[in-house]
Amino acid sequence: MKLWCAALNKPWSWHWIAYPGVWFIVLLPTLIYLVAIRRHRDTDRKTIWTFLTAMILFWLSSDWPVGTLGAGYLASVHMLEYVLYTLGVAPLMLLGTPEWMARRVLGRLHLTGVQEWLSQHLFVSGLIFNIVLVITHSPIGVDTLRSSQLGSFAMDMSWLASGIILWLPILNPIREQRTHSFAAKMVYLFVSAGIVPIVPASFLTFASYPLYSTYELAPRVGSLTAVQDQQLAGITMKLGMVPVIWGALAVMFFRWAAQERVK
Amino acid sequence: MALLFGVVACSATSTTTTSSSAFDGTVLEPPQAKPEFVLTDTQGQPYDFQAETTGKLTLLYFGYTFCPDICPVQLAQLAAVMDRLPDVERNSVVVFVTVDPDRDTPQVIRSFLDKFDTKFVGLSGTVDQVEAAQRAAGVPVAVKIGDGADYSMGHASQVIAYAPDGLAYTQYPYGTRQTQWVHDLPIILDRS
Repeated sequence: MKLWCAALNKPWSWHWIAYPGVWFIVLLPTLIYLVAIRRHRDTDRKTIWTFLTAMILFWLSSDWPVGTLGAGYLASVHMLEYVLYTLGVAPLMLLGTPEWMARRVLGRLHLTGVQEWLSQHLFVSGLIFNIVLVITHSPIGVDTLRSSQLGSFAMDMSWLASGIILWLPILNPIREQRTHSFAAKMVYLFVSAGIVPIVPASFLTFASYPLYSTYELAPRVGSLTAVQDQQLAGITMKLGMVPVIWGALAVMFFRWAAQERVK
Repeated sequence: MALLFGVVACSATSTTTTSSSAFDGTVLEPPQAKPEFVLTDTQGQPYDFQAETTGKLTLLYFGYTFCPDICPVQLAQLAAVMDRLPDVERNSVVVFVTVDPDRDTPQVIRSFLDKFDTKFVGLSGTVDQVEAAQRAAGVPVAVKIGDGADYSMGHASQVIAYAPDGLAYTQYPYGTRQTQWVHDLPIILDRS
């Protein structure tokens, strides 16, 4: 039985594959969330729907076909998964978590201090996000981790964790732990997710040869060559981040301007 | 299955060693002479392998067009590498010999190869002829796996590279990266 998407070493087919591990990882936190929300009825619908949207996006990014294609066939889909995890699922999860729930969960997991520290140390959060990015997009990282279900699971979870760490200083559900300076938040997000990822993305876009054996030696899907697929991956990393990062920067800028007007 | 067979076939060839030399491919010790066989090309004309490829870098591969995994990847790799090495491409020939002549008609082979490179040569013949060609090239003879119309073929997965001097110094199993091909082919071409 396959629990998580990994490289299959067989031709791609549109035949559905069941990944019960994905369903479990998506359904368990969703059910716990819904049960907790029922007991705490003052949570607004927008927050609940934001969390459910995050979990639906998490499921779509991890399950067949996106998860399967990304794990073993197309570097571009692997990159799409990364963008969805870090810039879609992670911020939506934070936005969809009520403050009381965050306090309770972090307390039970003894992570309150860690997340508070990460929220206040922007350099460290940005560094962790980019270290995970580099490791999980290095040829040895991809080829090693994507070859097994456990490795592939570890890669996907590290993406989700790094995405949460990236967004913590900006979207921390515990408001007083957010970084308060708009300027600091904007510079942090711009450098961490807008500038640094351009470097690995450029390697992918401009490399003459396929970097990942996983995707180079996979049976082709469609008419894309391995190099074209890799270039598309680089472009996805560069351009896929643009709407989310620049959108977030724009929101912060206008909030900052509004705050200044009030003063 | 073809992959497993190919791996076993490669490892079973006692004359191969992993390169510590100038090559990234699997070195053949001693080098193998180019085999002699005559098959039919996709135009329906006789193709004398040795005569047609004399003085050229020749890449010989035994596969079949219904192959789901190994053959398309190997041929796509060769096509990509040839695109990058125009000097090599001008002085070389890629020869694909079907191990499944019952299904691989000349038209089917041509249509299959054209997806990768229209200059690739496709050969077929009777079952006896293609088996003789495999033996002459020193690769295990392909075996039919399964019954009915959807059978597959267990076949050698390596590409044998013959230098212009008519000797194969290296072969390239499934899994060979483009960078390895690009490294080796110009060196092989110089062995004239």
